[in-house]
Amino acid sequence: MATYIQIDPTQKLEPFKSVKKLPLEEYFTSGHRTCQGCESALVMKMMAKAAGPRSIILGSTGCMYVANTTYYSTSWVVPWMHTQLGSSGSAALGTSAALKVLMRKGKIKNEPINVIAFCGDGGGADMGVGAISATLTHAEYNSLILMYDNESYANTDIQLSGSTPWGANTTFSSPGKMKRIMHRRWKKNMAGMMAAGHPECKYVATICMSYGLHGMNSIRKALAIGGPTFIHSLDPCPKGWDYDPYLSHEMGELAVNSGVWPLYEVENGVLRLTGRTEQIAAGKIRRVPVRDYLLKQGRFAHFTNDDIDYFQSKVDDMWEKWLIPGVIPFRKDVEADPPPAN
Amino acid sequence: MPTATAAKKKTVRINGCVASAQAAKYADVDVIAAYPIRPYTATMMALAQMVANGELDAEYIVADSEHSQLSIAHGASSSGARVFTGSSGVGVQFAYELYSPISGSRMPVQMMIADRTLDPPGDFGSEHTDALSTRDMGWLMGWACDAQEAFDNHLIAYRIGEDKRVLLPQMVCQDGFFVSHITTDVELPDSGQVREFLPPYKHPYPLDPRHPVSHGPQIMPEQGPPLQLERARAMEDSMAVIEEVHKEFGEIFGRHYDPWLEEYKTDDAEVVFFLQGGHGVTARFAIQHMREKGLKVGMVRLRTIRPYPTDRVCEVLSKFKVVGVIETNMALGSPASGGALYADACAALYEAPERPLVISFMAGMGGEAIVLKEFYWMTEKMIQAQKRGKIEKRTHWVGFEE
Repeated sequence: MATYIQIDPTQKLEPFKSVKKLPLEEYFTSGHRTCQGCESALVMKMMAKAAGPRSIILGSTGCMYVANTTYYSTSWVVPWMHTQLGSSGSAALGTSAALKVLMRKGKIKNEPINVIAFCGDGGGADMGVGAISATLTHAEYNSLILMYDNESYANTDIQLSGSTPWGANTTFSSPGKMKRIMHRRWKKNMAGMMAAGHPECKYVATICMSYGLHGMNSIRKALAIGGPTFIHSLDPCPKGWDYDPYLSHEMGELAVNSGVWPLYEVENGVLRLTGRTEQIAAGKIRRVPVRDYLLKQGRFAHFTNDDIDYFQSKVDDMWEKWLIPGVIPFRKDVEADPPPAN
Repeated sequence: MPTATAAKKKTVRINGCVASAQAAKYADVDVIAAYPIRPYTATMMALAQMVANGELDAEYIVADSEHSQLSIAHGASSSGARVFTGSSGVGVQFAYELYSPISGSRMPVQMMIADRTLDPPGDFGSEHTDALSTRDMGWLMGWACDAQEAFDNHLIAYRIGEDKRVLLPQMVCQDGFFVSHITTDVELPDSGQVREFLPPYKHPYPLDPRHPVSHGPQIMPEQGPPLQLERARAMEDSMAVIEEVHKEFGEIFGRHYDPWLEEYKTDDAEVVFFLQGGHGVTARFAIQHMREKGLKVGMVRLRTIRPYPTDRVCEVLSKFKVVGVIETNMALGSPASGGALYADACAALYEAPERPLVISFMAGMGGEAIVLKEFYWMTEKMIQAQKRGKIEKRTHWVGFEE
């Protein structure tokens, strides 16, 4: 059969075998001014290390732009460019297209170069979702869109985004005397949406850098597979989630172990639950109650037991009622309407 | 000084949109970012066909919005590609966020605009408000009055914008329909001549892993003034380059444009129209008629509005008794409470030792044609003002008054 999609060669990026075998070189270094305990900064560092020196990184507006790339003290060792808040997908597309045509026309050396565009949950799940979606349909252009999700507009003082969990206290949803729960929207399922909606996208994954090796190897796989890819990273945020910065790592583990944040990858259309999530699904370990995760964070300090129960029931639904647990919210069965109240 | 090679030019009959597409082809653009909106979209339709036919080797990307078009353009230009994009009407405004970042990062992206009214009325006619509303974003900007001039302006603008002394994006504008969809003879040059005039683009600081740079970093307030001054200077300093490039274009291709103003029958004129774009063609015709009746009327057509040729406008317009600005744009609540061109013209004239009377005419709104009798009516208003020595009022809405 004819080949309709010409994907340019990518770099060979074998998985890192262990933490001890990671390269020592850093491509995201000093010069940034992120908060103590910032997991997103760790994601940037791991992402750059996983991608290596032959990379171009584009950053849309958000914490990882404002705090990371101060004039005269850029922390990026690889070429980096700011893109607008909603532009991560389209800027990656343009960059990748430029490399492709310039190499074809012999204007630059023909060699595989990684193109990564990162965005926060505001830039990705809210403003830039259309452009990311479009980019994932452009199968000929190699790029990775990485959404670092700290679950709020953390750089502008913690306003809720489409990716903020239900009920969280943000500066746009502070509990008050009349309304305890101001934020009544459930978190957007970005990775599932990207995987389900873009059949030509060869790789979608969820990661959490509390599991660093797993996260880095997902990034390497996304870059090596070719075409546009998407990774959704859950990044605990001491400022936005309101916990002691030394707990960042533990917070990520709790998100995974409570089943709130399922780890999975969709590689060439094949879904695989990964890491601890795979063990939870296989019944090897039990999910930790969401209470243990929620109550460690000040943003849920106003929750009553009913609120926690509601949150738990929604997470239970995700695991027990979704057609593909934790990934796609189609239900297995039609649920009967509740009986009318007398 | 480049010399003209054996010219293999040809004349074709095409409209403004296709002329723009032809120019992009001659410029051998690398990346095209398309999104449909009338009337500019015919340019992208023509380019799609050229790419499909192998006449042009470029990445043709159909974006998901104008905002994405310009974001694609920004990323591609930053990576070293020659980029072509375009829009009309509300599409120009949907991409608004990107205009300052692109000029701020000094990326010579080129954007073709075929004007269309904004909403309301949202009809398909030409009003210059779409592009003019972005006029202070650091893009070089000017209007063509016919398809040939549109073709030429694209090549000239790339050459100016990509000059290392300038490095600024360009909006190459033409009236929707009056220019974009009217078919005329256009002389297409020998491609060897174009390569001489417009060598391949090479940005000095592209995104290149061999020479890593950070583009568009966050700055502290105290770092703002020098950065803004740099961009302002680039715009000012482009004026010398603009003159140089137009001169060279004339020498190579034989079409000599004054980069700033076209003067038509102004030698002994006492009253003149001051306008830009396609209505200039009708104005010339109307002026011929009125000249036959002995009226000393002429036209000054603005070809480049950014950077604004302040000194030149002052020098030229101050020769006349009355200047009638034909706006074809909306600037609600502006100094004349009509259009935007009036304020710029008056600011330029302020330092003139003798100032003409200036009247703003709101004509061609909603993309209506400005017909001959309206030119006669406007001339009459100017002559009355000249006789009286003062204007009746700053702004006339043409067609709504006796």
